[in-house]
Amino acid sequence: MSTAREIGRGPVAVTGVAVLTPLGDTPDSLADALRDRRTAVAPVPDLGGVGTAAIKDFEATRYANVRGLRLYNRPTRLGICAAKMALADAGLESAPLPKEQVGVVLASTFGHIETLLEYDRSLVTAGLQRTNPALMPLSIPSAPGAAISLSFAAKAFSVTLSDGGASSLDALGLGARLVQGGRARACLVVGAFSACQDLLRAAWRAGLLAPAADYRVFDRRRSGMALGEAAAAVVLECLEDARARGARPRALVSGQASTFATDPGRLERSLRRAAEGALKGAGLSPGDVDLVSAGACGSRDGDAAEARALAGVLGDTAARTPVAAIKANLGDAFDAAGLVQAVAALSAMKSGRVPPVAGLEEPEVPGLRYAVEEADVDVRHALVTSISYEGACSALVLSRPHDP
Amino acid sequence: MRRRVVITGCGVVTAAGTELEPFWNALMAGTCFIGPVRHFSCPGMEPLTGTEVTLPEEDAREEDARGGRCAQLALAAARRALADAGLASNSPAAEEAGVAIGTTLGEERQVGELNDRWPASGPDSIDPGFFSRSDNHRLATLVARKHGLSGPTLVSATACSSGNAAIAWGYELVSSGAADVMVVGGADALTRSIYTGFLRMGALSKTICHPFDRRLDGVSFGEGAGVVVLEEMEHARRRGAAARAELAGYGVSNDAYHITAPDPNGEGTVAAIRQALATSGTAAEEVDYVSAHGTGTPYNDVAETKAMKAVFGERARQVPISSIKSMLGHTNGAASAIEAVACTLALRYQGVPPTANLEEPHPECDLDYVPLRGRSMRVGTCLNLSAGFGGFNVCVVIKRAP
Repeated sequence: MSTAREIGRGPVAVTGVAVLTPLGDTPDSLADALRDRRTAVAPVPDLGGVGTAAIKDFEATRYANVRGLRLYNRPTRLGICAAKMALADAGLESAPLPKEQVGVVLASTFGHIETLLEYDRSLVTAGLQRTNPALMPLSIPSAPGAAISLSFAAKAFSVTLSDGGASSLDALGLGARLVQGGRARACLVVGAFSACQDLLRAAWRAGLLAPAADYRVFDRRRSGMALGEAAAAVVLECLEDARARGARPRALVSGQASTFATDPGRLERSLRRAAEGALKGAGLSPGDVDLVSAGACGSRDGDAAEARALAGVLGDTAARTPVAAIKANLGDAFDAAGLVQAVAALSAMKSGRVPPVAGLEEPEVPGLRYAVEEADVDVRHALVTSISYEGACSALVLSRPHDP
Repeated sequence: MRRRVVITGCGVVTAAGTELEPFWNALMAGTCFIGPVRHFSCPGMEPLTGTEVTLPEEDAREEDARGGRCAQLALAAARRALADAGLASNSPAAEEAGVAIGTTLGEERQVGELNDRWPASGPDSIDPGFFSRSDNHRLATLVARKHGLSGPTLVSATACSSGNAAIAWGYELVSSGAADVMVVGGADALTRSIYTGFLRMGALSKTICHPFDRRLDGVSFGEGAGVVVLEEMEHARRRGAAARAELAGYGVSNDAYHITAPDPNGEGTVAAIRQALATSGTAAEEVDYVSAHGTGTPYNDVAETKAMKAVFGERARQVPISSIKSMLGHTNGAASAIEAVACTLALRYQGVPPTANLEEPHPECDLDYVPLRGRSMRVGTCLNLSAGFGGFNVCVVIKRAP
């Protein structure tokens, strides 16, 4: 973190990882699918063939069996399942920490919206006395996070950040700060996104979505985004706590920074500031970055600004640092997106294989090494970046832990 | 070492006023603003009771074409806080600043407006702007864009502790060195879900809310926003800004007890208070005033009273604790941010605001709730309590400026 050396309890480690995506429900199966250039973006017939990526045949009870699951909407269930798998991966299911020492930060801007639409619509169409009163508490923005922390009895804190496309990376940053500040021994950072019919229709009507057949990121011919469905979760702990309980640290959260571009003309500069801030916090220079897991989503302004910012930050090393962009395969899972990018970076750190950018033929911004077929890349430090629709720019640095 | 964080500016927009001095005077006089709601309605519930904000023309005009009522309130409070802090829009000091806004309901009214069209238009009622208008992140980004703030922009949703939570995250960023200035607070508008939900749960007052009173029978709602400017102490000193108070620390906990009901013993509140005291280096004996969550529900007010006794022991009856929700109604995510401003003003004016509508205490509420009228007294350290639907508790410590 930005002042890791001065305050708090030393480096923060990722000790558990989970994903639920249309291309896989484990980090390894997702990595295999990305390596094979599989893409989940498919046309929605009744919305003019725009692209979305949905998880097929999702059955929450296959992953988690917690009270109230039936009542919760789909993004909440996705989040609960990812959280459950991350806790298991961290070894905290078999040997749980005291409840007071576990916190939750959920990235969720739209996780409540389907339930709110349904509840409020029933007020209009059926009248006050015929609404389901149990829906109201689940219709507010904090509800999915409350459901997750209730499911796992996380009593240290339960926070929801609603920062749009920046939610996940902001949540990772806040979770790491809270762990480092001693507010919890372990923090589940969860992101979940699933576009309900109305939200999908709204995005389509706003002209945000590209036809599935034309969906591309970073490419000169990109024409918009695709909505993706996903959940991801990680467990964060202080490195010394993780080692003390014999947990295996997968990576360190070594830097995170967020900025805001007050107008679209400042996106490039703004992301550059975020990336430089995250690297500075990690005590690294641009030459130390071995991999970029970028957030490019097909946006005209955003993709170009991100590519230019990365070229600017990486400077001389831009030509040799592979840039992955997994929204090409998965669409943009907004609240979950940054976490899924982080998980992909962790997989690359583990395997040394960087997934290619699917469908990229004519990069608009030259000078970057867009990943093609990358094997045997020694990823010690990965930079994860994103630019949100609203202009929020975030950057995260993940580092491979040294052997103890 | 953590850096010290001071409050250099405050802004409120409430039924009790949109400028600090009239707001404070109205609170100290014990004026209850809860009454008929004129500018918002809820099908099947006319007339609504609550509080509303009358924004001056310049703020009403300020409503960004892309923003809703909640953003309008956040923008109005933020503009006041920045002016109070002497931070001019687009100035170099402002440019590095970030924003954190808490909200319980966000731009819910966007959903209401869509659904009002639904019976006639069905899916065609979904307009192209709905996607971005329902993105609550804009509560922070509209503030940032308007004033040229290019630091982190966070929107924190922890139900009714959201304002305090946003203050806590601002404190994290400033004290750790990730930001020098954070514009933080909370905003909420009146919405259909909160009125109908509380009515159906039996938690909406049939008259007006009576925190800690024998007649307590539920919440009255209100709209509003509160924003404070948090600044690293030396940064404030260098630019000659007056520190109104020190944000000395915060504590958090989560009940993980029930999706709506708080833990009846107030254990989560106790944990949050103890953490706030410990991390801010404050002894319980130093606390001069507690700004209660005090919603006027038996659940909350009795549990909060128990928590006070657990934390302060014998001294609990000597520590004044009051709920300004008795005057402003419960402004949801804005409430604890407005209450943080009230704590800052308590330090400035050396007095504590009252609990209005408190004539005969509830049998299980036997503390000094400062009934009816404010009290002049020495105030050096305030605790600002908040609890959220879903169980998230945040306590903030606000002290006299160093």
